[in-house]
Amino acid sequence: MEPAEVEFLAEKEQITIVPNFSENKLYLISGEFGPFNPSMQTRVPLWLAINLRQRQKCHIVPPDWLNVDYLTEKKSEEAAESFFTAMPSPNYMEVSSLVLNNAAEDVPKADEVRTLVKDIWDLRQAKLKKGVDQMISQQETFAKLDNLTLMEMNCIRPFLTAALDHLHLLHNHATSYTSSQAD
Amino acid sequence: MSSLTQSSSSTPSYSSGVPSSAAHYRQPPAAAGGAGDFFDLGDILASQQRVPAQFEQTVYRLGFLDAQSSGEHIQSGAKMELPLWLARALGGRRRNIVRIDLPKQYRQQQRDILRADANVVDLFKQGPYFYLMGVKLLFFDHMERSDLAKSLLETFLNRFRRIMDTSHHAFSSDVTMFTTRLDETERVLFHIGQRSVAAMEKWERGRSHRIEASDVVQKRRKRKRED
Repeated sequence: MEPAEVEFLAEKEQITIVPNFSENKLYLISGEFGPFNPSMQTRVPLWLAINLRQRQKCHIVPPDWLNVDYLTEKKSEEAAESFFTAMPSPNYMEVSSLVLNNAAEDVPKADEVRTLVKDIWDLRQAKLKKGVDQMISQQETFAKLDNLTLMEMNCIRPFLTAALDHLHLLHNHATSYTSSQAD
Repeated sequence: MSSLTQSSSSTPSYSSGVPSSAAHYRQPPAAAGGAGDFFDLGDILASQQRVPAQFEQTVYRLGFLDAQSSGEHIQSGAKMELPLWLARALGGRRRNIVRIDLPKQYRQQQRDILRADANVVDLFKQGPYFYLMGVKLLFFDHMERSDLAKSLLETFLNRFRRIMDTSHHAFSSDVTMFTTRLDETERVLFHIGQRSVAAMEKWERGRSHRIEASDVVQKRRKRKRED
């Protein structure tokens, strides 16, 4: 999948906004949203929030994990654990990137937040590569990867599946000819 | 999702070096079965590699195949390099018309070098389809067959980390020095890895929504201006 497709899926996630216009309830396939009243908080899908924000119709209330304190803590937790820790949102990378790119003014210390998210991403990527390498070099048949997000999987999937296909081919031959000689 | 990449691989592309966004994913050759993939170009090219062979029987009226002798027949005991597909037909388990020796790059000495450090070996020079040809050589009833099978597997295991790391990290730097030492299968892997990192990078910079002109078109325009 393209990262843009993953982002598209992530836009279904709901987020709180503060509109500055009045509007009745919206009836969408994914549910009913609104009613919209100035300075009354309401939950909408992320794509709608981004769209309204781009037209200056609302302010986005950043999710409760998108702040410096929480992310600093998360980062140290991620660095300390040898396995993947549970992320506050299954689409943390996409949500933070969308919010920070479109509504950086609504997030306090946006630059710091951006760096922290990227740091956590890098930590997890390093962990993922280490895990993959361990799995391949010790020829394990499976690996347990809990709490891995879709974007992270998407980044390694094409490479890993192709590598495993090739490995499977070599492995099959190695085992079949060694055993046939032992017979 | 993986079926998506598989279906698009039916059109093989030959983009080497920097992967272009328009190029399809390429599957590593002969991912299925020992017989290889009939429609896979890599597999066909690998079976054209030559192997040293010795004739065990006299073959009549095919002397023209041997450029070194002018006789009408191929004498028994004649040594010749045959393409792998022909050697496979003549030297199979039932028909012992020829006997196959392992090519130089698969012999004991070379296997020892690979075991010592697989990462420094230039596998492209060892035959652009090192693994594929190696797997095909396993078809012959050879003394060192199981050693060869093991050696192929270990070589790939040892080289894997380096390929993964380089394809995922050295995105903007020059990697040609590294990729020239990879065998064709590894190259395909490398480019698959690089493509997903490139897509990610593009998304992070917020450019994946922008529709861009294809590389081909841009290059063509440049050439016209020179005229």
